[in-house]
Amino acid sequence: MLKNYFKIAIAVLKRRKFFTFISLFGISFTLTILIVLAAFINNIARNDYPDRKRDRSLYILLVDQRNEKTGGRNSGPASFYMLDQYVSKMKIPEKIAIASVFSATNTYVNNRKLSINVKYTNDAFWDVMEFDFLEGKAFTSQQINNAEKIAVISEDTRDDYFGKDVSAVGKYIETDNEKYRVCGVVKDVPITMMYAYGNMYLPYTVSKRDVREKGLTSDYTCVLVARSKQDLPAMKEEYQSILAKIPMKGQEFDKIYSHADDFVSSYTRIILGDGMNSGVSTLIIALTVFAVLFMLLPTLNLININTSRIIERSSEIGVRKAFGASSTTLVYQFITENIILTLIGGVIGLLLSFGILTWINASGMIPNISLSIDFYVLLLGIACCFVFGFISGVYPAWRMSKLNVVTALKTV
Amino acid sequence: MIRHLFKMIWNKKKQNALMLVEMLVSFLVVFAVFSLLVYNYQNYRRPIGINYENVWVINYNNSDLDQSLDTVLMVREAIRREILALPGVQSASFTSNNLPFSMSQNNNGLTHNKKFLGMVNHYTSDDFYDDVLGFPVIEGRWFTKADLSSGKFEPVLINESLKQAAFGSGSALGKTLGDPSPSDRPRRVIGVIGDIKYKGDYQAPEYAMYMRADTGSYRWLSRIMVKVSPDAGADLESKMFKLVANSLKKSNVEIEHLSEKRVSRNSLALVPMIILLIVAGFLIINVALGLFGVLWYNISRRKGEIGLRRAVGASSNAVSKQLVGEAVMLSTLALLIGSFFAVQFPLLKLFDLPADVYGYAWFYAVLFIYLLVLICAFYPGKQAAAIHPAVALHEE
Repeated sequence: MLKNYFKIAIAVLKRRKFFTFISLFGISFTLTILIVLAAFINNIARNDYPDRKRDRSLYILLVDQRNEKTGGRNSGPASFYMLDQYVSKMKIPEKIAIASVFSATNTYVNNRKLSINVKYTNDAFWDVMEFDFLEGKAFTSQQINNAEKIAVISEDTRDDYFGKDVSAVGKYIETDNEKYRVCGVVKDVPITMMYAYGNMYLPYTVSKRDVREKGLTSDYTCVLVARSKQDLPAMKEEYQSILAKIPMKGQEFDKIYSHADDFVSSYTRIILGDGMNSGVSTLIIALTVFAVLFMLLPTLNLININTSRIIERSSEIGVRKAFGASSTTLVYQFITENIILTLIGGVIGLLLSFGILTWINASGMIPNISLSIDFYVLLLGIACCFVFGFISGVYPAWRMSKLNVVTALKTV
Repeated sequence: MIRHLFKMIWNKKKQNALMLVEMLVSFLVVFAVFSLLVYNYQNYRRPIGINYENVWVINYNNSDLDQSLDTVLMVREAIRREILALPGVQSASFTSNNLPFSMSQNNNGLTHNKKFLGMVNHYTSDDFYDDVLGFPVIEGRWFTKADLSSGKFEPVLINESLKQAAFGSGSALGKTLGDPSPSDRPRRVIGVIGDIKYKGDYQAPEYAMYMRADTGSYRWLSRIMVKVSPDAGADLESKMFKLVANSLKKSNVEIEHLSEKRVSRNSLALVPMIILLIVAGFLIINVALGLFGVLWYNISRRKGEIGLRRAVGASSNAVSKQLVGEAVMLSTLALLIGSFFAVQFPLLKLFDLPADVYGYAWFYAVLFIYLLVLICAFYPGKQAAAIHPAVALHEE
């Protein structure tokens, strides 16, 4: 049966090439745009180099101090003091990576300016983030304690500073008016990976800002890694209980809002959320509304074209009805045909989006990003095809099934 | 004629309803796109208000706050002196971090004559700010050493927009800005400057107020803007960098160029606009092809009717006119409904855009949809006109 429908669908497609072109154009471009968008979001949410333990990690980004009486507020990344003094005492996490938010510094080589983003880290950072080392290795806790001027740099920085593919380990790199000995070179991380991105990683002990400063906010983030996924809820609770223990003795603030979030929530909270709400649901609603609105026009267009095409086939329908085909059979057949059409459009759309993503990756619009169509994006694309094909097929099919046999045959 | 066209459409209302919805949605999309374009273009046309070429920005952080205020001031004064001594440096100014094209903002609500005017951006800087950014003072003067930080009034400069809002078209000089508050000294306007587009070329006018940095401000001011000569290069920059880094040992230092900051700030407004245009452009092509296809198809289905019209004496021109007229009539209906929705935007003040932006956008959107429909209907109409009555009637 399906085979027959397929044959008919192909025959119909061949009949009016211009209409087929319009349908396929609409379907494939709609899907291309949706897939490219999905690939972007997917890349941010799921690309896990070097953060491979993401499914059992929680992220601490913001500490929001408030004074409930006056409405005063101070919000920002945590301070090293707070993370070291309180958070590192937590029992459940297996590892606690502490690293600063990257900050830009300048260096001047051969009368040329380089801007290098520096990140200060502790030693657990290198266990939590599984960087691919091109050469050398990370600095050790011993070296951190000795406040050695030692650096891990990214591939881009090495290429810019020392020359392409020149070995850098053991050499000295100067930035922010200080010299550091290079101990390792790692594969680049895109800037979208906020917790791991940097061009140069330094021990926190060489930071120019005093890490012993006692305030709760400064510029450090933290990754808590649990032993297993099951420990995550308990780890969240433990973080809250740690926060409750931080003394607020007679200070200008009386309440701390901060959360140990999973990766996606930690991003959405800064953009869409607030103290209580993580913002994930807001994001999902916003994206769905956009996708639906965006698909509305191409769907209307497809319905219009399909309706026209069906009337063209009224003679065929009339004959089939006269020989006893039920309306349901016809509706079923037409929707199947339409889904076949959308699937063909979907394949073209996939090819197009593959081309566009390859182009975006190669153009270096966002350095070091590598967008790809993975299983989830593919699944989304196919799901879109089905929804698209179904919706745009239902109304014309319904109109077709209502066609009166006599009028249908008369138009022959 | 119009009644007749309307009747023709009404007779096939089921089929036309879908076309109508499609045109309606297209109109709303085009209206939204034009609103954004008109708005951005209007902003783009206004002058930026400063000369950002050859201005460098030194970012530092105040890591010496444990020192006494005198020491802090001494270090800052020394930095200014040494920077100015570098060959190629023309002027230098300490300023708050909400400098042009940066992401930082500092604003406060302002109530003037018991009327809330809105949010006003506060800029804190020294006596050389106008020099570095190269803008003229329209009325009055910029700060000088004579503006002591301890007078009865706090001297401020305001921009043209704020002046219009607070004082109307008259002179603002010497007037007091804002209602008295217990915590601040009354502010007295000593000058008016033109609007500066701090957020890049596509920014709408905002209120701005300029305050003179007093000695205490130097504890938190964290930017120095330096005007250099056009031929200054990385050599001067690295010298300047070393100088600041050596003076503020515990601070991270970064030097940026205002012209580059402008480009990246503009792209923040441009990139969404370009993406929107691509998406909207694709939707419109899609709709155009669809309309064209459906109109063309309808005409081939109405061969009999057209043949009959021709046979009883309608000229080929009249036939094609009627078909195009039907399409235009249909789009007029869609535009009427669409305009009803569109007019809600300025009426309900859904977005913070001026009403004339919507007016222009509505005009362009209507024009666009009519053009689109005319183009799509023209060829099918011509096809219909070419139908020979004998052939068409023979088919029946």
